[in-house]
Amino acid sequence: MIRSLRRTLDRRRQADGRHGWLFDPYTGDEMVAIDCETTGLDTRTAELVSIAAVRIKGERVLTSDSLDLRLQPPASLRGDSIKIHRMRGVDLEDGDALEAALEKFLDFVGNRPLLGWCIDYDLAVLDRQLRPLFAFGLPNVCIDMARLYLRELHRTQPQMSPTVDFESVAEALNVPVMGRHTALGDAVTTALMYIRLKKGALTAR
Amino acid sequence: MVRRRCDGDRLMVDIDLSQLPFTLLDDIGRERVLRGVDLIYFDSDAVILEAGQPGEFVYIIHKGEVAEFDPHAPISQSRIAHYTAGDLFGAISILDGSSRYRFKVEQESLCYVIPRALFLRLCDDYSTFAEFFRRGLAQKTRLLAERRIESGVNMAGFMLARVSECMRAPLIVDAATTIAAAVSRLNESHADSLLVGKGGRFGVVTKTDLLNALVMEGATQARPVIAIAHFELVSTGPDQYLFEALVQMTRHQVARVVVVERDRLVGVVELTDVLSYFSSRSYMVGLELEQADTLEALARASARLPALVQGMMTQGIKLRFVMDLLAALNGRIVDKAFQFLVAPRCRAQSCLLVMGSEGRGEQILKTDQDNALIVADDSDWPDRAIVMQRFTETLHTLGYPLCPGNIMVSNPAWVDNESGWRRKITRWAERRDGASLMNLAIMLDARGVAGDTRLLERLREHLFANCSRDELLLSYLARAALHFAAPLTLFGTLRKPRHGIDIKKGGIFPIVHGVRTLALECRIGETSTSARLEVLVEQGRLESEFAADLGEALALFIELRLKQQLTHLDGRQNSEEPNLVVVQNLSSLERDLLRQALHIVKDFQQRLTHRFHLEY
Repeated sequence: MIRSLRRTLDRRRQADGRHGWLFDPYTGDEMVAIDCETTGLDTRTAELVSIAAVRIKGERVLTSDSLDLRLQPPASLRGDSIKIHRMRGVDLEDGDALEAALEKFLDFVGNRPLLGWCIDYDLAVLDRQLRPLFAFGLPNVCIDMARLYLRELHRTQPQMSPTVDFESVAEALNVPVMGRHTALGDAVTTALMYIRLKKGALTAR
Repeated sequence: MVRRRCDGDRLMVDIDLSQLPFTLLDDIGRERVLRGVDLIYFDSDAVILEAGQPGEFVYIIHKGEVAEFDPHAPISQSRIAHYTAGDLFGAISILDGSSRYRFKVEQESLCYVIPRALFLRLCDDYSTFAEFFRRGLAQKTRLLAERRIESGVNMAGFMLARVSECMRAPLIVDAATTIAAAVSRLNESHADSLLVGKGGRFGVVTKTDLLNALVMEGATQARPVIAIAHFELVSTGPDQYLFEALVQMTRHQVARVVVVERDRLVGVVELTDVLSYFSSRSYMVGLELEQADTLEALARASARLPALVQGMMTQGIKLRFVMDLLAALNGRIVDKAFQFLVAPRCRAQSCLLVMGSEGRGEQILKTDQDNALIVADDSDWPDRAIVMQRFTETLHTLGYPLCPGNIMVSNPAWVDNESGWRRKITRWAERRDGASLMNLAIMLDARGVAGDTRLLERLREHLFANCSRDELLLSYLARAALHFAAPLTLFGTLRKPRHGIDIKKGGIFPIVHGVRTLALECRIGETSTSARLEVLVEQGRLESEFAADLGEALALFIELRLKQQLTHLDGRQNSEEPNLVVVQNLSSLERDLLRQALHIVKDFQQRLTHRFHLEY
């Protein structure tokens, strides 16, 4: 609710701006699966470490034309998050500056619908970084893979008590987990989950 | 588009690029593949590529199963091939412009796809990569063999040595040389033998010959050495494998062969020199065989053959040479046993034949004894039946199982005099029923191993004279090679892993029998399939490329079967079906080879159909 209000507001403001086209309704048949690695789990303080996005077209995941951005090391990069995404300061030294990275990201996703695993978290972090620099949040339609899976599971197998963590969903959908805890790997896996679910992986059984 | 990736392990695309054909690219090429692939998901029963449709991608299966169909073939035979995880398809469709067959998903599949444009660019930039897809089976198996050798099998290196690497310069003396001069020449050059030239021909004189002449015959030292020289020389070429030279020595029971290049004598290979190369078992078994003077000793030597085969196979020696050596050794065993049991007088009046795979020299482990005896018309051999009964029993104790079809010399039907055999063959050729055709096929593969082999030569002439012009008989015979097309269809439906492809029926038999039929038509006296193929090429009946592919396909089938037999030998599996190959147990390259080999069989069957008018 608040999000759609904000989006209307943003659209007004951006109508004649450089990013106005992002607010146009999307008419194509593609989607973009995204994933971000961050320095923490608190959306108010977490900084972006890497952003990945990969396009989905029909049953095809366009890994050859994907976006895999690494950012300059944020101040809050600390030991505990390095353990998860395995990116140290040195790995990020030649990374993009935040603004340039977000610009590339916006260019890549355009006005296509976005897909992500627990996408609300990624959106919150991205929006927090976008607003001060571009004066708008991501206007795209967003689909949360985890929620979509839960809904589909309830519809087809109401008796099941689901485990909804990334690995077990991938297994239930018979999707190989590609490079877990790299942004691009998770994005591709999420994209494959989506295709499988749309193809009726749950109803088939 | 913006993409940034630092190092390989951060790429999430995990195709196994350490397999052929990607090993033909360099790191940059492989990096291009990794960057260029997309992922596509296919539902069960989806058609990935329709026949006649242009190829857009090269597919590499990450997960799932895909079948290849020939839409023009009847349903029962339409299934051509089967692909599972790690397999690659679609490349040929791109190179040819359109797909020859239909690719359909058997089990939901996730595929990596290399776009057409990238694939073609890779082919342009890496010629060996491009060649891989255009190559025939023969070349592919060579790649496989090369890779095997590279993978640290150091024995293979010198087992595959050429004659030229091991030969000595010939020690040639002129015809006037005396024994005394010859001995001092031998001592000077630390050699065991020398060659005497006379009128463009050469004879060999060994130290043993000299000793015998001086001591046993009391020759004087001034006698010319040419008088004691042997002029029947076994020769080989400098490019032959040393291994083949060893086979020749075993077969002719000599200790040296001369090396001839373009009619010029260039060297000598001594058995002792070969030994320094093969310190290993093959020669030891041969030696033990030669020295065996009792049946027990012979049995001991014969029991070592399976281990020898296993050893040579793991050393990566080409199957054809292993088979050749084994045929020679088995021939010697049978010959020896024959000598032990049959009086010399009777041996001179008869010819012992081995038939079936043994006759073709294509058996690897000991197979059933398939043998027969031709006796000269004027022979006088009253206790023949008893001796032959004993002979069969002896071979049995030497480790050759009895033939379930009773095609053995203990069976009076397979022992006859020459004119009796002629009548039999004429009768079989006239009848043309199943049993007669089988008997003819068996006789075609007969090889004489002991006694007077001229008896067999004459009989073969008779067989050719009777049959090779008989179109009707030939087409009856050829039909059998088409009989077992059906097992091919099993290829795709291997849902249950215990099923398998019967490579004997589906692969070995059609090739062996088809080539046999062609050999009969062209009156080729050779019995091994590869030798027959060579002659067929010489006579212009087959293109050399197709013949090479057929030979390789056959070798592949035999090798696969042998692997299974060896596993059974180790007792790891207890199945009675060594001919069933379970596709899932093979590596993806082996699967690829098997698939191609079966394609070749199919092509060959089509040619036979056309040649012998078997369309209906």
